[in-house]
Amino acid sequence: MRSGFLRGARRLWALRGLSRTAPPSEELFAREGPLRAFLDRRAGSGAGGLDAGGNQLAAAARLLSEKERELRDTESLLHDENEDLKKLAESEIAVCQKEITQLKHQIISLLVPSEETDESDLILEVTAGVGGQEAMLFTSEMFDMYQQYAAFRRWHFETLEYFPSELGGLRHASASIGGLEAYKLMKFEGGVHRVQRVPKTERQGRIHTSTMTVAILPQPTEIKLVINPKDLRIDTKRASGAGGQHVNTTDSAVRIVHLPTGVVSECQQERSQLKNRELAMKKLRARLYSMHLEEETTKRYNARKIQVGTKGRSEKIRTYNFPQNRVTDHRINKSLHDLESFMQGDCLLDDMIQSLKDYADYESLVEMISRKD
Amino acid sequence: MKPWGRILWTLLSGPRGRRGAPQVWALNPWKSHSSLPGLWSATGVVSHWTRVFEERGIPEARESSEYIVAHVLGAKTFQSLKPVLWTKPLTPKQLQCIQELCSHRLQRMPVQYILGEWDFQGLTLKMAPPVFIPRPETEELVEWVLEEVARRPPAVGTKGGPLFLEVGCGSGAIALSLLSQLPQSQVIAVDKEEAAVSLTRENAQRLQLQDRIRIIPLDVTSEGCWTHLLPWGPVDVVVSNPPYIFHKDMEQLAPEICSYEDLAALDGGEEGMDIITHILTLAPRLLNTSGSIFLEVDTRHPELVSSWLQSRPDLHLGLVAVRKDFCGRPRFLHIQKSAP
Repeated sequence: MRSGFLRGARRLWALRGLSRTAPPSEELFAREGPLRAFLDRRAGSGAGGLDAGGNQLAAAARLLSEKERELRDTESLLHDENEDLKKLAESEIAVCQKEITQLKHQIISLLVPSEETDESDLILEVTAGVGGQEAMLFTSEMFDMYQQYAAFRRWHFETLEYFPSELGGLRHASASIGGLEAYKLMKFEGGVHRVQRVPKTERQGRIHTSTMTVAILPQPTEIKLVINPKDLRIDTKRASGAGGQHVNTTDSAVRIVHLPTGVVSECQQERSQLKNRELAMKKLRARLYSMHLEEETTKRYNARKIQVGTKGRSEKIRTYNFPQNRVTDHRINKSLHDLESFMQGDCLLDDMIQSLKDYADYESLVEMISRKD
Repeated sequence: MKPWGRILWTLLSGPRGRRGAPQVWALNPWKSHSSLPGLWSATGVVSHWTRVFEERGIPEARESSEYIVAHVLGAKTFQSLKPVLWTKPLTPKQLQCIQELCSHRLQRMPVQYILGEWDFQGLTLKMAPPVFIPRPETEELVEWVLEEVARRPPAVGTKGGPLFLEVGCGSGAIALSLLSQLPQSQVIAVDKEEAAVSLTRENAQRLQLQDRIRIIPLDVTSEGCWTHLLPWGPVDVVVSNPPYIFHKDMEQLAPEICSYEDLAALDGGEEGMDIITHILTLAPRLLNTSGSIFLEVDTRHPELVSSWLQSRPDLHLGLVAVRKDFCGRPRFLHIQKSAP
């Protein structure tokens, strides 16, 4: 029953995705549907024993059915012979419908469980994939796109490492991003991004396909992840000799090894060694935390199609097709045109990310209802 | 050789003997590598100078070359350069500038002096010879002071943040990073060298921290010098990275240090204790009750300082903690004043 329901929901969304509309809350709230049954139980369960969110939900569900009854009652007045009464009914219906839509939105936002990491800052990692120099050039463009998106969102963006290729591309880079809803939105960017275009280096005008990978790692707070300093080995270039005033060296690169896991984090972005150590530590913490989260999620069964966070790293999520000036997200089958604007990292990218978020909300709602059935 | 290459060659090998270094070009390594592709890009120039430095026995050949090229291209590190700048051909002006800076490096000038700036904690500070160049260990001394200040609530009746006294401020690295991270704090910074006093002043102004720092030319070894400081006190914390190298070790220092840095900022006398003991004698008169002293020292000093303090109970000072640096060497001391 459950998987059938999910499949149905996906098909529905796929159709919606093509027509680029809002999430199908109408279908979700259909009478006799599972969400209805769920809400009716909630509305009936009263306030006793529920947490604050549950109370709000029960209240909203009750209010929703009241408003819907009111709507039905008012609708019968539309057939009244009295013109004044009819007009009054029309305006009341409009108000009622607006309230119902708002209540539905409220119910969705109350129901969609927020992830433990949603409020976190994050580490963005970009890595060139298949396609040699062209992949590295694309990786560099993608890194710039995210930097611009962070500016668009007024997030803090700090480059942690940057490994350019000899010919102007980017092999690998990472950055720390922080700000309102940063992880909540950026988590949908994790995965394999594919580019199709004629590389600058291609003489015969053939279209190449290359890839790059984005990883989004939530940055843990001090409380969520505690690292024992004894588990760390910090390597610097000053390990030999007397140190201190006796030597004057400039190599400020820092390499931190987390001994129990073998995870390595390096930084040579800054001239200050202390600063490099802080940045390397930030990265190390994010990596260890995402390993921890990955462990947690594999323990749980997860039927969602959008495998947010670190789980979708190997999935091809999006194609940037330059000859057709189109970007398509394969998870929601949504295409946008005007690639150049998209790569500017402002409204269009934001639009895509919002659609992904709506879809993920919708899907987690469906999953939740079917679980509680 | 292509014409462009020839122009470059002339440019780079350029007026021989300028800056009094004819031997620099004796090997003329440029010529032999001039046919390599990408030579005029940032990466090409970095490889070239790395090779030159290696051949001439210059330490940190690659790092030096990268820092200089990055600096000329407007970045702090080669790592932080935009990828397009890696491959973009350099302008003749940029190449000339790199050439000039690298010729200083061939003379063993420290990179920090060549660039005229360096980073310490989160700050970029102007560096100028012969003022002592802050070492990375000292960033940890500042970290420790910040930790201790954060742990302790301000004493009753005091207004604002702590008042520090820094002895031997050099470029101002310690004083200015404390000020920038503790917005309520104030610092009295002293140094006996005029060059250091004016460099600290300039750095304070660049960072707009001049209103909370009082910079005083003062030699802590001179008789009765502490009386000059009394009007500004009492202070909560004395912090210093005093000269602590044992005199006999001075001759083993690299040319970067002994030919360019002010040796008075390094030479601590026979057992490296000369200035340390002066600071410890002076501090109790200026410190608050239960005030603290934080020092960076040589690895042999924790024991020496501890026994010296035991021989001077009149100072009412006790060594409360020794901390290791990032290489695991005992490097920092926390000494506290106790009630007489």
